[in-house]
Amino acid sequence: MKRPPVASINTVAKRLVGRSDLLISRKSVRDSLVSLAGLIGRPVFGPDGREIGRLVDVVVRHGEETYPPVSGLIVKIANSKSFINGARISVLTPSSITLSSAKINLETFSRRPGESLLDADVLDHQIVDVDGLRVVRTSDLYLAPFNKEIRVVGVDISFMSFLRRLFPGSISRRPTPEHVLDWASVASLTDSTGVVRTSATRSALSQLRPADLADLIEDLAGREQGALIEMLDPALAADVLEEMEDDELEGLLRGLTAESSAKLLSHMEPDESAEVLRDLEEEHRESILGAMEVGTAKQLRELVSFDEELAGGIMTTHILIVKSTDTVATALQLLVENRERESSDGVVVVDSKGKLLDHIQTVELIGAVPSSRVSELMAKPFPVAVTIQTPINEVVEEFSNNRGSSIIVIDEKNKPIGRILADDLVDALSQNRNRFTQGGVTRS
Amino acid sequence: MSNLTIPSGRKLRIAAFLAVMGPGVIAGLSDDDPAGITTYSQLGAKYGYRMLWVLVVSTFALIVFQDLGARIGVVTRQGLIGLVRQKYGARAGSFSAVALILANVGTMTAEFAGVAAAGQLFGISRYVTVPLTGFLISALVLRGTFKKAERVFFVLSAVFISYVIAGFMAHPHWGAAVHGMVVPSMPFTRDAVNIATATLGTTLAPWGLAFIQSYAVDKRLTRADLKLLRADVWVGSALTGIIGFFVIVTCAATLNHEHITNITDASQAARALQPLAGTLAKDIFAIGIIGAALLAASILPLSTAYSVGDLTGSPAALDDKFEEAPLFYLTFAAITVVAGGLIMIPGVSLIWILISSQVLNAILLLPLLAYMFGIARDKKLMGEFVAGRRSLTLYGLIIAIVAICVLAQFWFIFNL
Repeated sequence: MKRPPVASINTVAKRLVGRSDLLISRKSVRDSLVSLAGLIGRPVFGPDGREIGRLVDVVVRHGEETYPPVSGLIVKIANSKSFINGARISVLTPSSITLSSAKINLETFSRRPGESLLDADVLDHQIVDVDGLRVVRTSDLYLAPFNKEIRVVGVDISFMSFLRRLFPGSISRRPTPEHVLDWASVASLTDSTGVVRTSATRSALSQLRPADLADLIEDLAGREQGALIEMLDPALAADVLEEMEDDELEGLLRGLTAESSAKLLSHMEPDESAEVLRDLEEEHRESILGAMEVGTAKQLRELVSFDEELAGGIMTTHILIVKSTDTVATALQLLVENRERESSDGVVVVDSKGKLLDHIQTVELIGAVPSSRVSELMAKPFPVAVTIQTPINEVVEEFSNNRGSSIIVIDEKNKPIGRILADDLVDALSQNRNRFTQGGVTRS
Repeated sequence: MSNLTIPSGRKLRIAAFLAVMGPGVIAGLSDDDPAGITTYSQLGAKYGYRMLWVLVVSTFALIVFQDLGARIGVVTRQGLIGLVRQKYGARAGSFSAVALILANVGTMTAEFAGVAAAGQLFGISRYVTVPLTGFLISALVLRGTFKKAERVFFVLSAVFISYVIAGFMAHPHWGAAVHGMVVPSMPFTRDAVNIATATLGTTLAPWGLAFIQSYAVDKRLTRADLKLLRADVWVGSALTGIIGFFVIVTCAATLNHEHITNITDASQAARALQPLAGTLAKDIFAIGIIGAALLAASILPLSTAYSVGDLTGSPAALDDKFEEAPLFYLTFAAITVVAGGLIMIPGVSLIWILISSQVLNAILLLPLLAYMFGIARDKKLMGEFVAGRRSLTLYGLIIAIVAICVLAQFWFIFNL
């Protein structure tokens, strides 16, 4: 199993340790914890103390609140399972539940969106421990009254708690709060309707680095992978995908709908998504491209068709083009609008026919008079350009001769159509090397 | 689009790997481990061609369940024991883990017994060979040099292909062999039931089922790889059956023909190879046994340790340090030490251990097969790969056959 780099664990730990808003750190909550695993199968009493039935499962409602409240109980009454509204719980102890009214209207349970069953969906399932950056199995869940409702407040992932559950009787019900993680620091990903979304897990996840998230996703089971990625903001999700291994990414995309895949790939850098698309089976690739916006799809199709061994196959088509007659202010405005993209370190200047003239760094633009024309900044050295058909090794040569951080790719009419950044080249070269050594042939 | 003709890294890697050996072939050849060869030899020596059908049924069951295991692993991306815990709860998960561990300790003991028996052919005491093997395997596996060693073991165990040639050279009664394959018959004696159960247990071994599934999870195989993986599983399982077939046929044509109907030590089993190897029969048999034993013995503790990690929810791997995965390393050590220790008990009959461990396998198969049945039909877990009515009938039929064997076994143990 891959381990996330140590540095990142420390960073996250620093950020999270000492978080005083964690419910589990309050004494009142710790003292009233009820073990879910111990509670399942225990009696449910009416207000008169008469046993009504046995607890089968606990239903919680996920929403914007950090600690999901219990919305109901599934109770086995005379061989049939009935739903009892959570508001009717009057006393909750580790070994039984007492209801406030004896009235039973034998509702059959049907799950509403955003609800999950703690025993069937969460206990013993995989969850993401966001603080520890790992995928673990739930050994137990803890319920406690808080803010007028009974809520899930903690998750136990320890092996000792797992062993405790194997024993009969009251040992299996004894909470072991020393092993508890706060519910706010885990991401639970399963329910049979799709994703359990809570604002807490979303915000916890969005604090992680894309590389750490990529490692976590690679450790998750198939269905949970998709659940986690869809929980993320599309821009972050795209960053995460860029960090993933190619095989993993292919597997992940296969588990998603064409629409979600299209959305994610559109947010990635065009050269990166083209690389992913290139490895997919044609049918799958077309279904994803078909779900994209027409312009993006067209651009990606073109990129996919380029040979990986040539400049066209590794370039990114995202370049910022200005005319030589434009003002410096226009160019800067364009840069600001695209500040999220990795290719925003400068603009490419073209003449009135769209032919390549120069590449101007952002620093140069900042230093210039905003109302002056871009053409005034043009000077030697003029940028190095290669064509789509230039083989990668020649691109490497151009790079090392010119010591630049990027090279511009032009078409046969000398119009700029893309750029190759140093990191694209590193990616392409390391992939080639792997390919050759894996095939048993080493290229010297 | 010339780039599409260049295989991507992954495909090339898997293809190259499978060309040498895939998990299905490893599991298949490891099934022809000392316990397997001994059980098949005993079946052929005692009953001639008559009970070949037991091997046919066992091989068929192996193909069906290895295929299911591969599918479950790829689709759910979770190991068997972890899935049982998730679906059936903590107690069921622990129960299945205990069943698997017991079966694996039994089989590991059988691997050591194989090495001990082979050593005795050369006059080397088991008190030398068994500890040596334990250390060798632990060192190879834990120091990570085991990938290369695995290939060596694999080649050594491939020596058993010589049974195919020996089978032809022994001029078996092919008509009787075909008859024995398709017409089920057996004497209803304690001995016959014992060897039939052992044949089932050694062919459809519990560890193989857990191994194929955790392999798919650990190597992160995706649905795109499933075709290749299934092909590999089918080839490996068929290979087990074919080698098993020739072992039985060879022993039927030689040992049974010469009225050696009860194998009590390895030198008797080795005599089956005499038509092919003459005086070298012993050496070839010993090399094959050692290779197969080491191959299986290096995978078994690892596979068991992986399953325990799967149960606790913290999958571990060889690149983890001891502090990170104590349970993983402790399981590994426990399996090796307990199995080695059992063999060192003075006066223990090696042939008895070799066959009884496989009967134990068959008994412990039952709960594991039942859990796999339950997982296969779970739409939530398996999605579009959920088993249909026809597949479920097939799985149920196989489970019933294993159950009948086990019940008959118990009947003889407690009534006679």
